[in-house]
Parts: sequence; C-alpha cells; structure tokens
Amino acid sequence: MSTQSASQPQTLRRPRWRPGASHVVVAIAVFVLTLLAVLAIFADWIAPYDPLHQDLIHALQWPSAAHWLGTDDLGRDVLSRLIYGCRIAVIAAAEGTSIAVLLGVPLGLFIGYRGGWWDWVVMRLVEAIVSIPGIMVAIVIIAILGAGLHRAMIALGILFSTSFLRLARGVVLAEREEVYVRSALVLGASDRRILLRHIFPNIAPPLIVQVTLTVGAVLLAEAGLSFIGLGVQPPQASWGTMLNTASAFMDLNWFLAIPPGIAILVTVLSVNLLGDVLRDSVGRGIAATAEPETPAARYEAAAPAASGDASLPSPRDDEVLRVEGLQVMVASRDGAGEVPVITDLSLSIARGETLGLVGESGSGKTLTGLAILGLTGAGVRTTHGSIRLNGQELRALSGSQIEKVRGNEVAMVFQDPTTSLNPAFTVGSQIAEVVRAKQGMSGRQAWERAVELIHRVGIPRPAERARSYPHELSGGMAQRIAIARALSCNPSLLIADEPTTALDVTVQQEILDLFRDLQDEFGMAMLFVTHDLAVAADICDRISVMYAGEIVEMAEVDALFSSPRHPYTRGLLSAMPHASDRNPPLPTIRGNVPRPGSWPAGCRFSDRCDFRIPACDRRIALAGIDRSVRCIRADELEVELVS
Amino acid sequence: MLRLVTQRLLALVPLLFIVSVLTFSFTSLLPSDPVDLILGDVGTNEQYEMLRERLGLNEPVVTRYFIWLGKALQGDLGTSFFNSVSVMEAVMQRLPVTLSLTAAAALIALVVGIAAGIAAALRPRSWVDRFATLGATFGQAIPNFWFGLILVAIFAVNLRWFPATGFTPITQSPWEWLRSIILPSIALGTASSAAIARQVRSAMVGVLQQDYIRAARAQGLSTRRIIFRHALTNALVPVVAVLSFQTTVLLGGALVVEQVFAINGLGTLAIGAVRQQDIPMIQGLVLVMVALVVVVQLLTDIIYGLLNPKARPS
Repeated sequence: MSTQSASQPQTLRRPRWRPGASHVVVAIAVFVLTLLAVLAIFADWIAPYDPLHQDLIHALQWPSAAHWLGTDDLGRDVLSRLIYGCRIAVIAAAEGTSIAVLLGVPLGLFIGYRGGWWDWVVMRLVEAIVSIPGIMVAIVIIAILGAGLHRAMIALGILFSTSFLRLARGVVLAEREEVYVRSALVLGASDRRILLRHIFPNIAPPLIVQVTLTVGAVLLAEAGLSFIGLGVQPPQASWGTMLNTASAFMDLNWFLAIPPGIAILVTVLSVNLLGDVLRDSVGRGIAATAEPETPAARYEAAAPAASGDASLPSPRDDEVLRVEGLQVMVASRDGAGEVPVITDLSLSIARGETLGLVGESGSGKTLTGLAILGLTGAGVRTTHGSIRLNGQELRALSGSQIEKVRGNEVAMVFQDPTTSLNPAFTVGSQIAEVVRAKQGMSGRQAWERAVELIHRVGIPRPAERARSYPHELSGGMAQRIAIARALSCNPSLLIADEPTTALDVTVQQEILDLFRDLQDEFGMAMLFVTHDLAVAADICDRISVMYAGEIVEMAEVDALFSSPRHPYTRGLLSAMPHASDRNPPLPTIRGNVPRPGSWPAGCRFSDRCDFRIPACDRRIALAGIDRSVRCIRADELEVELVS
Repeated sequence: MLRLVTQRLLALVPLLFIVSVLTFSFTSLLPSDPVDLILGDVGTNEQYEMLRERLGLNEPVVTRYFIWLGKALQGDLGTSFFNSVSVMEAVMQRLPVTLSLTAAAALIALVVGIAAGIAAALRPRSWVDRFATLGATFGQAIPNFWFGLILVAIFAVNLRWFPATGFTPITQSPWEWLRSIILPSIALGTASSAAIARQVRSAMVGVLQQDYIRAARAQGLSTRRIIFRHALTNALVPVVAVLSFQTTVLLGGALVVEQVFAINGLGTLAIGAVRQQDIPMIQGLVLVMVALVVVVQLLTDIIYGLLNPKARPS
C-alpha cells in the first residue's frame, strides 16, 4: 500500500505536463507561420530598406544599429531582403503545393477509377520519376521550362505530384473494394456516384497530412534550387539566393549565411511540427477507442497487505519451485498508479511433477509464469512474495544473476511457436546459440547438440530440418523446436504457457505425449499453464485453478475433477464438452472475468456466483493444505450437492 | 542469390524502358531546336541541314530512339553540344567525386542513424529518446547546403581544421581526401541519419515487443546478444527499404552540397548543362543516375534477402 500512496503525486503531475509541452510547441509553430504570413503580406511597410537598394560603400557589413543583420556584398540590407524573402517563401510553398495537389489528386483519382492500362502506364511513369533523385527531376524540368521562381515551382509541383497521385489512387482502390461489396447489396446504385461520395471524406485526412509534408519539402527544395541558381533569379531576394551570395563570401563575412538559414530552418520546422500534430490527431480520430477507466482507489481494499494464507505444505526434499505470497502490480492505462493483477499466489512443484495452472483468459496465468522468470515486462512489477527455485530466492538475484538461471535452471515454452522463434535465423542455430551461450560449447559441438535435440523431440531428418527457417515449419514442428530449445540446457523447471493452444487438434495430443516422454527422461518439474481442462486432466498431476489474479482451488487432478469444491471450478467443469453427452447445450458461467482494477472487494467471483451470501463481500482466505479452496461455503455446498 | 538478382533485374526492365523513353523524348520537349543551339545565330541554312542530317534528326522518331538506345547501351551517350567532349567521359570523370561524397554521407547516416535509433528505442521516453527525437526533428528541417555553410563557417573559416572548398581524389592522397570529404558528407548525411534514426527507433520498439525477444530472454541470453543479434537483425529489415530511398535522396542532395564546397562533381556538370541546354549531357546524367539508383536498389534487395529469409525465393 505504501507504493500506491507514493505513486499518487507523481501520477497527478504527469497527465498535466505532457499535453502542455505539445501545446507550447504548437503555439510557437503557429506563431512562426503567422509571423511569416504577416511579413510576406506587409513586407513593403515592415522592411526598413528597399531590398534591391545597393550601397557599395557599406558592403559586407556586420550587424549594426543601422543594419540589424548587416549588409551583403552589394551593400543591400540583409534584414529587408530576409523580410522580402518571406514573400517568396509563401508564394513558393503555395504554388508548388497547389500544383502538386491539382495535378496529382485528379490524376490519381482517374487512374484509380479507370484501372487497367491507364493505371499501369501512369504508375510505371511515377516509378520512373521516383527512381531519379528529386532534384535531378526538377533540374531536367527546369532545363525544359527555364529558370525562375514560377517555373521552378512548376517543376517542384510536377515532382511532388507523384505522392499525391499515389495517395489519391490508394484511396480510390480501397473505396472501390468497399463499394463493390456494398453495391452488390443495393442493386441499381451507380457505383460512380457512390464512389465519389465516399472518396472525399476518406481522402481529406491523409491529404491534409501530405500537404504539410509537401509544404516543408517544397520550401527546402526551392531554397536548394535558388541556391544553385536555378530557382529565383538575382537580384530578387529569396532565402536561397541570399545563401548563394553568402557562400561566395564565407571568408569575409560568414554571418551572411546565418539569417536566411535560420529563417528556412524555423519555417520548415514549424510546418513539420504542425504536420506531426495533425497526423497524430488525424490518426487518433480514426482509431478512437474508449479506454475503460481503471479506478485505482478501489484497489487499496482489494490488495492484501501481506499473505494471510497458510495453504502451502511445508517444503519437501524434491521440491523444485516454491512460490509464496506473490503479488504483481501493473501500471494502469491512464497512468494513475498501479493495480494488482496477481495477489497472494502460492504454489509448489516437485521434481518430475506437473502442476496445472488453469483458468479463463485474463486470470493472470501467463503472467505468473513470466513473473517466476522475472520477465514481466514494462509497467509490470512483482511487489511481494518469494520465488524459490531449487532453494534459491530468485527475487533477490541481480539482472545478470537471473540471466544465468534462465535457460539453465528454468525455461519456458510459449503459446505461439511460430512467433516465439526468431524469423531471421535457422531453427538449428537458435538452439545451438543457447547451448553455446549457456554451456560454453564450441560452435560445432553446439550444432551437433542442436541436431540431436531436434531428433529427440521427434522431428524426422533433423540435420536437414536444423537448417530450416521458422516460417518453413508447421506449427507443431515449430513447437517441437521451441521445446527442444527450452530443454537444451536440461532445466529443472519447465514453464509451458498454453503450448498446445495454437496448434491443430490432432497435433495437440502428439505434443502432450512429447511433454510426458521428455519429463520421464529429463525429470524436470513442469508448470503447465492452460485454459483447457481436458489438456490439464491429461498431463497434470495437480491443478491450481486461477481466477482474477488469485488461486481459488488446488487439488490432485482426480479429486478436482471428481469433486470440485469452488463454484468457479464447478462452472469450468460443467462448461467442458464431453464426447459422451452432446445433446444438452453447454452451460456457461455468466458474465466475464472482471478486469484488474475492477475486482470486487470480497470474493472476486461473487459477481458471477449463484451461491453468493452477504459474507462473501469480505476477503476470503484460501483454506486447506493439500487440497485448498477459497470459498466460505465450500463445505456446505458440497453437502448440498451430494444430498 | 543469383536467382534473386535475376528476378530483380527482370523486374527492372519496364522501369528502365520507361526511363529511357522519358529521357529520349526530353529532346523534343525542349523549346529550342538543338541545331540552333549548336550553331548559334551564325549558321547558314546549308550548315543547318547538314547538321540535322549528321545528328540523325531527319529520321523518324522511333528509329532515332532505337539508334540512341543502342548507342547508350554500348556506353556511347553522345557528345556535348558545347565543347565536343564525350558525355560518357565527362560523366565518368566526375562520377567518383559525387559517388565518394554520397557513399561517405550514406555511411555517416547509417552509423549515426542506427546508433541513435537503438539508443532511443531501448529507453522510450527517457532523455536519450527525447534528445534523439529532437535531433531527428531538427535534422530533417535543416537544409543540407545551409548546414554545409555553417560547418564551413565553424570548422574551416574559424577553426581551420578542414579545407573550406575543393576535393582531393583518394588516389592522390587518402588523408587529404578524408579531410576534404568530412564536412560535405556530414552536411549531406545529417537529414538521412535523422530519417534512419526515426525508422530504426520505431522498428526496434516494435521488434522488442515481439514474442521471440521474450522467448530469447526466457532462454537466458544476454541483453547485448538479444539487442544486437535478435532484435537488430529484424529491425533492420524495414530500414533497408529506407536506406534504398535515402541513397536516391543523398545522390540528389550531393548535387547541391557540391556547390557549397566548390566540388567539381556531377552537380556542377548538371547545372552547367541546364544553363546551356546541353541535351546529350542532361540525358547522359539522368541515365547514369538512374543506373546508380538501380544498382543501389539491387544491392539493398540483396541485403534485404539476407536479413529476411522470407523474402528469398525458394
């Protein structure tokens, strides 16, 4: 609880600070662009001198009271030229971008709509233009049209129209798919009309974003072209031509390069930043999802201060893993503090034993497995409890110490074998890597060991298979590889997280058999996480049933299936399909597992329980040692059911 | 690998065809008659006709295209209208200059971009991340030629560490070459390094959340190995695509940056050719650049295939 009150002031500050910073940025960007517009429009009144007035006696002066930014090689006032340059920049950005939009959008809409040869030819042309450096395309077009501001802007407009063309075409193609589906339903509707009506709302958001990107790019390109003398022609003042002048006099007055460069940088930066903000808000508008609120305050009551349960038998000699009073907290989505996801969880597994961790999704099973490995990830931390592996307290280990334990003493097999193998490397090299890194084998030895392991997990032609990439293997095969890798250093504990869930039903049984065989051979303890009771019944010796972050019942497999004591376990069992009786519809447990952050204060199952009484609204302890249950009515209900 | 290369080469045929048609038809788009350009105002009608005949301008357009294409394929890009220099010779003379500038800039962009991207991705929202993001934002807004001028002002004019202008071929003196190339390649590579850093950061953040990274950690592999082997190999896959595009951008940027440092490369050649409407020269430059871009694309495709086994044809 102390952690929670400590995190409170911090979390109050954070949400206020972050939008504030971006607001300031937006405000500055808007201010810069407004200033630019004002200077451009009123340059004649604002500029202190005529930008073209030469004064050769006062050439190349450094900043002074008379000339705030100095004078250039012909004695012209730099500040005045800078202000007139704003006008050029605004004209350039407006012209270049408009030409790009007016050329690209209609053409893109047209080829998207027409498709066929038109589409093919225009798209190849676009590809050809894009494959030539942009400035070279502009240079070629200027060679045809001639230099000068407006001609250069036509060149840039043509150059940048390709991105608008592709954008418009993409929107049409996406909409056409939609419309064809819909017009099949509404017969007789002209799809041209429907198409047009759907295009504009869909093209507007990405178009706005693309326009801001283009404005920035046009400004930079115009400056570049003017700098190399192909854009704005002297003596007209533009930022690019001013830099051209500056570059010739770097030795005499390098300051000439500063004002126009800053002007370009600040303008482009403002446009880009506004574009980023626009893109974010456009993106947010599309993917607007209502995040459910997670009230942190309610949790104080639900989070137990310390372990009150005494439900674990005293340590045995062959005990491999012993977890006591584990509590894991997760940062809530709104950033306001943490909520518990696992509370007061205890379990113990002996050598050669398999403990099933069973429950619906969201009950915290997988997280329990990850917490044992110390791999809970960002925003999740283990706050209480002890995790002892072969007598060693894992929570007391440093990062590099637990790194040594992982792989050597404990390993994990994950749900989806195709994503838990690295797509970039062969499967053999991924096993060999572990053996090499953890056991210091030579490369050759490690490879041989990998092939041997691949053979051991029942894959035919192991030497050949070792050279396959994960995507070349079936799910079942990939899971065998993952198992081989997990067992490569002969760990004493294997955590299997739903290892059969992602697999085909026929393959499931093979993998379960493989686990059993390997356990007989290697003798490791197994923590088998699954939501499938049939799988658990098949492979486990004991089962812990998890609900909303805590264990509600633990028993030997036979006892659990023959006489479940917690109403939740009972519900799970009756929701299990049996091959024998297909006729009655499967009963389901009403409602859903409550999300962390909205657990009831008392018995967490009480909202969905048919046997709820007022006493259930208090915290319920897990009672019993070898067969434990977290329900105050367990005894009474058992009698009731039997009678 | 050979198969991948052949596949990619075949895919490039339509593109190259279109580029060649575009480049060729560029002649007829010019406002002025090439013969007038060559002769100036002094030519007689007789000379005019003779030159037309010699340049093959009296042939039908399609024939002219194929003659031109055939010569271009053999490396004959014609002669400059202005100084009777072979275009191929003029281009080849300056190509090493522009290429070494582009390559050095690409190297800087890659090293800085990848390093900054990884540093930012490892600790999202930390000060390293914020600093890198800020740097990337500025890097993409700074005009490369202005950045070049600033570098000259600081490191050449004031500190005198590097020459302000000029280029020394690497064959002449590797050390002087390095000194002459450092400032231009920093000026040129900065924007690309910003783009690459952004890409690396977002790819890396995504990859680090993948199951196989968690599985590798569960296997007890060291953080360094996981980041540089398991994560980076996958995060670089999208970066390769960006690099291919950025090389095109760098090649274009080099034309401008060359002007800042008075480097006599393809940029200077191109600007001169435009001013004089030297058609064969411009055509030759476009073709050479497209050829360069195609080679770079081919290389990046190969790297892409090496990094991403799924992209290899089986």
